[in-house]
Order: sequence, then C-alpha cells, then structure tokens
Amino acid sequence: MDDNAAIERCRAGDNEAFRHIVERYQAEAIGHATAILGNREDALDAVQEAFIDAFQALDQLDLNRRFYPWFYVVLRNRCYKLAHGRQKREMSNADDMEILAAAATIRPENSMLLEQAMLELSAEDRELITLRHLDGLSYQELAERLGVPQGTIMSRLYHGRKKLRDRLARLSFTGLKVEL
Amino acid sequence: MSDLKCESVSMAAMAIADGYQPELSSQQIEIHLASCANCREELGQLQELSSLLDTQERRLGTETLWLKIERRLPEVNRTSTSRGSASFMVLGALLLGYRLVELIPDRDFSFLFKFVPVLLVIAAFSYLRENPFKINSELSLEGES
Repeated sequence: MDDNAAIERCRAGDNEAFRHIVERYQAEAIGHATAILGNREDALDAVQEAFIDAFQALDQLDLNRRFYPWFYVVLRNRCYKLAHGRQKREMSNADDMEILAAAATIRPENSMLLEQAMLELSAEDRELITLRHLDGLSYQELAERLGVPQGTIMSRLYHGRKKLRDRLARLSFTGLKVEL
Repeated sequence: MSDLKCESVSMAAMAIADGYQPELSSQQIEIHLASCANCREELGQLQELSSLLDTQERRLGTETLWLKIERRLPEVNRTSTSRGSASFMVLGALLLGYRLVELIPDRDFSFLFKFVPVLLVIAAFSYLRENPFKINSELSLEGES
C-alpha cells in the first residue's frame, strides 16, 4: 500500500491504515526528534504526539505532496513545544550515542566527543546541522522544511558549524586533519 | 575587494562548498582569501569539519510506536467529532426552544431576552474551546496555490 492509499483509507475512517504510515516513518521521525531534543525518551513522546496530530490533520494534507516533509513540520512543532515547556533540558548522557550511529570513519572516542559537542549546541543549530550533513538536504530543501529563506540557512549553518568547531576544540577533539 | 568582511567571505565560501550560490562570486572570495591568512585557516577548519560530518549517519529509532498510537486514535476521533456534533445538536435544540417561546402571543419579554441566543452560541463555542473566527492559514494557502 502506498502512502496516498493509506491516507485515503484513514480519511474514510479506517484507523488501521494509519499503521502503514507510522511503521514506515517512525524510525526516521525518532532520529529527527532525537536530534532536536537531544534525548531519546522525550523524542519518543514527541513522535507519538506528532503522529496523533498528523492523524487529526490528515484532511489538510495535499496528496500531491509527499507525506514526510509535511509530517516533519508537525513533528518539529511538537519537539519545540516540548523543549520550550521545560525549564532545563535534560540531555542524554553522551556515552549513549543517541544522535549519531557508529561509523567506521571515526574512532569511537572521537565519535563520543562529536556527539557531546552536538548536544551542547542549541536545538535549532543541532537540527540544521544534522539535516544538512546527516540527511544531505540542500539549502533549498532546508529552506522549505524550516520555512526560512536560503540566505538565513547559509548564515545559521555557518554560525552553527563555528559553534560546533569551538566546542570540539574545547573538548580536545583530534578527529580532524587540521588542528582546532 | 579588501573591504569585504572576513565573516561574509567565509560564510559565502562554505555555502559554495555546500552547493549554494551566494551573492559573492568565487572570484571575489579567492581574491580575499589570497590576502587573508585568518580566513584561510578558519575555512580549512570548517571544511574539514563539514567533510567529517558528511561521513556520519543518523541513528534511527528502533522502537515500535503503533500499539501506543493505535490506542489513542479512537479517542482522537471521539473528541474531534462526537463532542462537537452533540454540542451543536444541543445548541440547535435550545435555539429552537427559544424561538418557540418567543412566538407565544401577548407575552412581553424584556429587552435583555433578545440576547439569549447570542449567549447560548458563546457558551457553546466556549465549551468546545473553539474560535469561530479562526482562519486556518494552511487551508487558505492550499486554496491559493
């Protein structure tokens, strides 16, 4: 069953058809929510709520557009609502490696430091950097998904990467070919 | 060309490396970089960091959420339709009752009696926590496109 067929069935009152949507996108959504919230437990709550929000708003989805970019807007709204609702965010322990998957291109200890440095960024910077580098979105795609001009993406990405570099330097990160 | 701010140059150079064409041209950037060691050093670090980040992958979720979500879907339907339609049916019945009372001949109701329907409607929308004047911007935009 493709997404549009599932959505049509949901609109007709078949809740079970929504299972197709949830199971298809939950892994990606949890990854995205974790990058914003820096905490997998909160991410799971946010993703659940976002799927409920999406289910309620399915009538507003234009079937000529893909589901996930539309859902991503719903998801990030949920994430930021959750993040701003807390006085002090409880970040995950960097030993857990929740944002990044283990990679052969970097030593495990450097991988931990990179994760830790990313957790020290703001949710907005972390979201943008991970969408650009882990998902490979172009500036145009980033601008559409985040609802800001491409010039803003350029500026925010530049400053976000500088902050990340500064945090890595403070953590004595040695995973780059140049000295920080 | 030397009037260019270092930050603008570094930002533009990173954007070009990302595949985006900023307002500054590659030639302007090259001329500035040739005479600015600070910018060359900063760009070297940022480009290395970008290359490293490009090799990383996102950790995806392995959790299964359907059972938790499924339990709440009927509840979603009930709250969004049943509660609303029942409330509006009650409102309709009350307004009909008001109209019948108003039609009774030779009864002199006070001026305030005319505000009863308005109060009923306000009470119904307050109960449903709905704003009858709210415009759904997403639907409006879809309509325009």
